[in-house]
Amino acid sequence: MTTHMKSKSQAEQFSIGRRDWMRLLATGVAGVTGVTGTSMSGWIQQLAAQTATDTSRRRSVILLWMSGGPSQLDTFDVKPDHSNGGPLKPIDTSVPGMRICETMPKLARMMEHVVPIRSMSTKEGDHSRATYHLRTGYLPQVPVDYPTLGSVISNELGNNDSDLPNFVSIAPYRAFSPAAYGPGFLGPRRSPLVVGEGGRVLSVDEQAGYGQSLRVENLKQPDNVTLSQTDRRLALLKDFDAGFREVHPGLPAGSHESAYAQAVRMMRSSAVKAFELDDEDDTLREAYGKNQFGQGCLLARRLVERGVPFVEVSLNGVQSNQSFGWDTHANNFEAVKQLTSVLDPAWATLLEDLRLRGLLDSTLVVWMGEFGRTPRINGSSGRDHWAVSWTTVLCGGGVKGGQFLGETTEDGMAVKDRPVSVADLLATICLAVGVDPMKQNMSNVGRPIRIADPDAKPITEILL
Amino acid sequence: MKSLSRILFVLCVIFPPPFCADQVTAQDNVQELADRIDELIARKWAENNVVPASASDDSEYLGRVWLDIAGKIPTAAEAQDFLDDTAIDKRRRVVDELLDGPNYVVNWSNVWRRVLIPEADSDFNIRYMLPGFEGWLRQQLDENKSYDDFVREILTTPVSGVNPYQNQNGLTPFAYYQSKEIKPENLAASTSRMFLGIRIECAQCHDHPFDTWKRKDFWGYATFFAAMQRQQGGNGFLGQLQELFNRQTLTVPDTNEVVNATYLTGVSPQIPSGRTARLTLADWVTSGDNPYFARTAANRIWGHFFGIGIVDPVDDFSESNPPSHPELLDLLAKELVEHDFDLKFLMRAITASRTYQLTSSVRSEDNVAEPLLFSRMAVKGMTAEQLYDSIAQAVGTHEAFDTTLQASFAVTGRSQFVEQFSDSRSGPTERQTSVLQALAMMNGGMITSATDLESSRTLAGIIAYPGFDTAQRIEALFLATLHRRPRPDELDRFVKYVESTEAEKTTQRALGDVFWVLLNSSEFSLNH
Repeated sequence: MTTHMKSKSQAEQFSIGRRDWMRLLATGVAGVTGVTGTSMSGWIQQLAAQTATDTSRRRSVILLWMSGGPSQLDTFDVKPDHSNGGPLKPIDTSVPGMRICETMPKLARMMEHVVPIRSMSTKEGDHSRATYHLRTGYLPQVPVDYPTLGSVISNELGNNDSDLPNFVSIAPYRAFSPAAYGPGFLGPRRSPLVVGEGGRVLSVDEQAGYGQSLRVENLKQPDNVTLSQTDRRLALLKDFDAGFREVHPGLPAGSHESAYAQAVRMMRSSAVKAFELDDEDDTLREAYGKNQFGQGCLLARRLVERGVPFVEVSLNGVQSNQSFGWDTHANNFEAVKQLTSVLDPAWATLLEDLRLRGLLDSTLVVWMGEFGRTPRINGSSGRDHWAVSWTTVLCGGGVKGGQFLGETTEDGMAVKDRPVSVADLLATICLAVGVDPMKQNMSNVGRPIRIADPDAKPITEILL
Repeated sequence: MKSLSRILFVLCVIFPPPFCADQVTAQDNVQELADRIDELIARKWAENNVVPASASDDSEYLGRVWLDIAGKIPTAAEAQDFLDDTAIDKRRRVVDELLDGPNYVVNWSNVWRRVLIPEADSDFNIRYMLPGFEGWLRQQLDENKSYDDFVREILTTPVSGVNPYQNQNGLTPFAYYQSKEIKPENLAASTSRMFLGIRIECAQCHDHPFDTWKRKDFWGYATFFAAMQRQQGGNGFLGQLQELFNRQTLTVPDTNEVVNATYLTGVSPQIPSGRTARLTLADWVTSGDNPYFARTAANRIWGHFFGIGIVDPVDDFSESNPPSHPELLDLLAKELVEHDFDLKFLMRAITASRTYQLTSSVRSEDNVAEPLLFSRMAVKGMTAEQLYDSIAQAVGTHEAFDTTLQASFAVTGRSQFVEQFSDSRSGPTERQTSVLQALAMMNGGMITSATDLESSRTLAGIIAYPGFDTAQRIEALFLATLHRRPRPDELDRFVKYVESTEAEKTTQRALGDVFWVLLNSSEFSLNH
């Protein structure tokens, strides 16, 4: 983590150059070679090279969660020669021979880093159950409380002494399946820090609000309490608690003390400045998109830059109070166009931003929802739930970008080859960031349970 | 020799000869059982050379029974009344009052709901059905339905003709079946754990690795639930449910083996014609002769009050997990049967025992022994609902935890709090606070508004009370949060703090600080 602090101050030195770079970034996300034809010194390349070869750099995962089940035919699995394809057309990408849907033009220029897995094949078509299934790797199976992916990964890759939480969840919509967003049997210490509780999506028009919505609750003392007052309170509390703890040895009282101590450290640390997005250049903020999801992706980059091993950003919708925005049973094409108008710039800018900072090689970006959508278009120009053959995407660190994995039939109704289960996907994600998917954790039923189902077959073809 | 005489001395303190008794009550069934409990527990102490902790003081006891029975801390007024009461039988009396009060109903419906339908945490469809289920639970608790009848009703609730899409506004335990998807294997696994204390689900797919249960045993038991089927509805929707009479066999999945409905004791009953298999099963499960039923129930209640069961985990009776006090467990089970499965009777006896009334604090010369010997009351964490309700009470808000709001889509302060503070991983004696919980307590809205003069009823009330001096105000804050009065050294320290004004620190703000400290203390958030 200290390496990045050093790099940041280097960047400060070149602040003018940095602004130039941001401008270039915003105007068209210049393709494969990134920064082109500038008069800047090559400091950004130096920075990138330095970070990439830093072996002490920990790996991270950014999960882009598409709530509601995103349509694969209108994003990555185009079917231009079949009626199921619908009105949206395919476009070329930066990788010759790879075509994706016209809804993702900016990402199309980053395809060398991207692997769409088109042969996902799962069995759950219910929102609650499928959300749980994809996010924990297991079907809900009472009484076991499976932990969500973020808790699992941060449990492996996180640093317990870090000033920042190891798992941050940005704008999750949890009401339908809260257990799918929780630490399960790994315990509350692996809970995510939640920023911008989802379900209160601000529409793209509500510009002013997006900054507010990403505030961290509870990290700052309340406005009507001064810093010195907080200090006094904490001193008084420490004394008082010590008395109780002395005659009540054991885990409950002991953990209370250590949790509070760490919480105070977190409140006071400079690492918490990660959440202050006003630090960033406005042009860059524009490139991500001035909405909750776009700024959420920017925040994810900042957190990963400071060593947070798992950050998830949920795209719940683009209209106010949408929860399953991708659940396009009606008016699918208009809805997808609106959703991708937010998704595309944010995702593409995220990848490029990570790449330019030398972080892409050690950051795996995962894109998925709980299932896909029917290839056949229904009577309301919509698509319904479809788990038989759908798409998830991996990009960045640990995977060989620039290829498709798996294929569906011409009509999109079945997987043609290389079916991928949830367990397979989870195992692949683990391996991409150096986590052993067969590692066992003790569950709440006294039985050790592996991170991924023992039957999992990781997609070794796409792993670096 | 020296340690033996020490133990005898302690035993005399705990079971005083009549002339030095301090809490003499009329001999009654409750006291008889309480004494027997103490005898059996003390025997093990002697065998293990363990010196038990001393008795709890009134404040410890009061907080403990309130939390264990009513699910929250007592009010300041109730605390004050209890502490100042000189009646010899006050401890018994407060338990009786709590058991007859509305908080018992609310708290225990939370407890049973969580144990019976844990799926609600991960499945929204189930949460939607909860209000009817919880309404039914409250009704049972209100009527103090005997435990065997309670379980019988769950096991035999009608399913024929029930439309699974209809929100069950009626008060019925049907959601229990819905949450198990009405599948025989799920119902077998759940009822076995819940009511018989046996984790038989491992044997669903293969012979149990650690215990004697075979795959055949699992499916034989599951057969009792196999008669419930769905008819095909139209348009691919699920049709109504139907229960077939005289369905007594099942084909084990992926095999050709046919099994008969078989109890876990290995007996395959003949199911009378015209009766469903579930009715026959209910007779066997809830019988006083059933070797598992009463012991599981008694153990669960013990585990609730002590934080650790005599068999622990409480739903895992097996050869590799024997009871720590087998004779005691048998006694509790027998007494439960003899008192018509009245759980409140057990609760009264347990709380009347000296073992339950031991302090949770450790004196330096104490032998901090194995928790399974119950020589000291364990410190237990609170559930999220208990913590929320306790905070709400202490700060004077009206918004107690309201389970009828389960079906709401909204993310409320209440639901967020519960998510933040829920912990299913560990038993109550191993509860850990997380950093995010600490942040929520320190900086979160609930505590903030509580300690802010403008918005806290409790604080405002205490400050406005005419004639109170600083010491009395601090005492009021202690009573409201920790249901005790401050010790002299504590009072001294806090009075000094409040009265030494510096800069912007006014007396009023300082009192807010004290309130904040008490609410954030481990003493407040732990059941000890």
